[in-house]
Amino acid sequence: MTGLECRKVSMKFGALAAVQMVSFSLNPGEILGMIGPNGAGKTTLLNCVIGIHKPTSGKIFLNQIDITGMKPHKICRMGLAKTSQIMEPFMAMTVFENVLVGALHGGRMRMRPATEQTEKVIELVGLKEYASKLSGSIPVPARRRLELARALASGANILLLDENMAGLNPHEIDEALEILKKIRNSGKSLIVIEHIMRVVMGISDRIIVLNYGSKIAEGFPEEVVNYETVIKAYLGDKLSSLKVA
Amino acid sequence: MNSRIDRIILVIFLGITAALAFLPNFVESEYLLRLITVVIFWIGIAGCWNMMSGYTGYIDFGPVVYFGIGSYVVAIAMTKYGIPFFPSLLLSGIMSSLVAFLVGIPTLRLRGAYFAIATFAFAEAMKQITLEFDRTFSVSFFQGSDGITLPISGHDNSFFFYCVLPVTFLVVLAHYFIEHSKFGYGLKAIKEAETAAEISGVNTTANKLGAYVSSAFFLGLFGAIEAYWITYITPSDVFNVQKTVQMVIMTLLGGMGTFLGPVVGATFLTLISEALGARFVEYYLIMIGGIIIVAILIMPNGIIGSLKIRKKFRFI
Repeated sequence: MTGLECRKVSMKFGALAAVQMVSFSLNPGEILGMIGPNGAGKTTLLNCVIGIHKPTSGKIFLNQIDITGMKPHKICRMGLAKTSQIMEPFMAMTVFENVLVGALHGGRMRMRPATEQTEKVIELVGLKEYASKLSGSIPVPARRRLELARALASGANILLLDENMAGLNPHEIDEALEILKKIRNSGKSLIVIEHIMRVVMGISDRIIVLNYGSKIAEGFPEEVVNYETVIKAYLGDKLSSLKVA
Repeated sequence: MNSRIDRIILVIFLGITAALAFLPNFVESEYLLRLITVVIFWIGIAGCWNMMSGYTGYIDFGPVVYFGIGSYVVAIAMTKYGIPFFPSLLLSGIMSSLVAFLVGIPTLRLRGAYFAIATFAFAEAMKQITLEFDRTFSVSFFQGSDGITLPISGHDNSFFFYCVLPVTFLVVLAHYFIEHSKFGYGLKAIKEAETAAEISGVNTTANKLGAYVSSAFFLGLFGAIEAYWITYITPSDVFNVQKTVQMVIMTLLGGMGTFLGPVVGATFLTLISEALGARFVEYYLIMIGGIIIVAILIMPNGIIGSLKIRKKFRFI
């Protein structure tokens, strides 16, 4: 089986267990939603996957190759790219150059094919009007798309989107969803961390729910939101009897 | 991307270098030739610093160490082993980059001020080692504070002009390629956001090390040339922190991380100290200090850096 697989991944920072024994898998062409309250360990889990943190225990496999503890740039070159929740564009570089870095280094391309790839990706995410602007000077929605473009340019087959739609208005969210569908149709798989339920419910094939670092539920979107444990995690004990979801 | 403007600048630069190559045939005054050589020398050295610190944002505060290693390698190779100048020169560059490689692996993990302190400490440590090595081990190798006298070359100023010119040419040309290459985009990405660069596939360690080692290689060459030129070296001269400071100031004045920054900064500072130094022997350092302060206040990104921002004009 190809795709991404996490086996009993735990990440401890001192005494704090940010992620505990989480296992999940991502099949090719699938969109996996990842939800959970703030501090549930979603970002930490993805950071373990792309090699920013080395998990305290557990194994991560990409296309059945063990990538646990590899350097992030190697993992990126193997086809696994993440967009960051905290936007970190290369400020003094233009939007085009930002994406170019992804293509040149992540995609291991030479200058000419990388330039072509960059043009294609910028077109796809709709950043053409900003291409020659400095990335520090563009508005937030464009920066979100820039993060996405940089990850896409590396040619990764699996994209991890960490709250890529935070701070967008409903109209912008619709546009972003269109882009994600295009990306999925091109044969890529995605893991989407998002707080906006409309996004997660609408786009995910499956959803996993984290709370206090542990996976508390997994299933189809409509199943998951009715699980007792999930409602409890989001609304607390008192309100869970109301079954709002 | 204004790659056309960049290409025009490159052509102008190649033209100027070609014209300079004929200069010694026309310049009568030895003083003028020496002054021009010094300017070119500093353009090259400031360029070495810019190659590393300007592009990666890692402030190296001990580049002089590779300059000093270059000086000592050439001196020892020539006096102790009787190797002629040019092979020794190459050996200096190789030794400097080898040391940079070994030192770079641990120090380039440090960020910000810690990297600056580590490189500064290493430069000072090398000075002390060359000073005390012979006394400690009862040998005669570095010759401590006595220094080493190199064989008198008997070459005139134009010889050193032709030594310095090609090396500086290579340094500036290397900048041009860094600006337009995969390697350069990697370095600039590291400067802006290192973690983001790493997860975008940039091998940050290898790229930083590459910049550090190439900068050290050229510094080693310059150190060797200066040693042969001056013919007498001591640890406190060749490892002098003032050289580091001068590289930093020249680059900052011209514009960090730009192709023309070190060229403009080094020319400006060398010529102005020469002009003022001749006329106001006692006060010229104060005046230069004032000029630097004013320049940095008006143009915080350096001469070229500020031009780039104000004109919204993107060129190298």
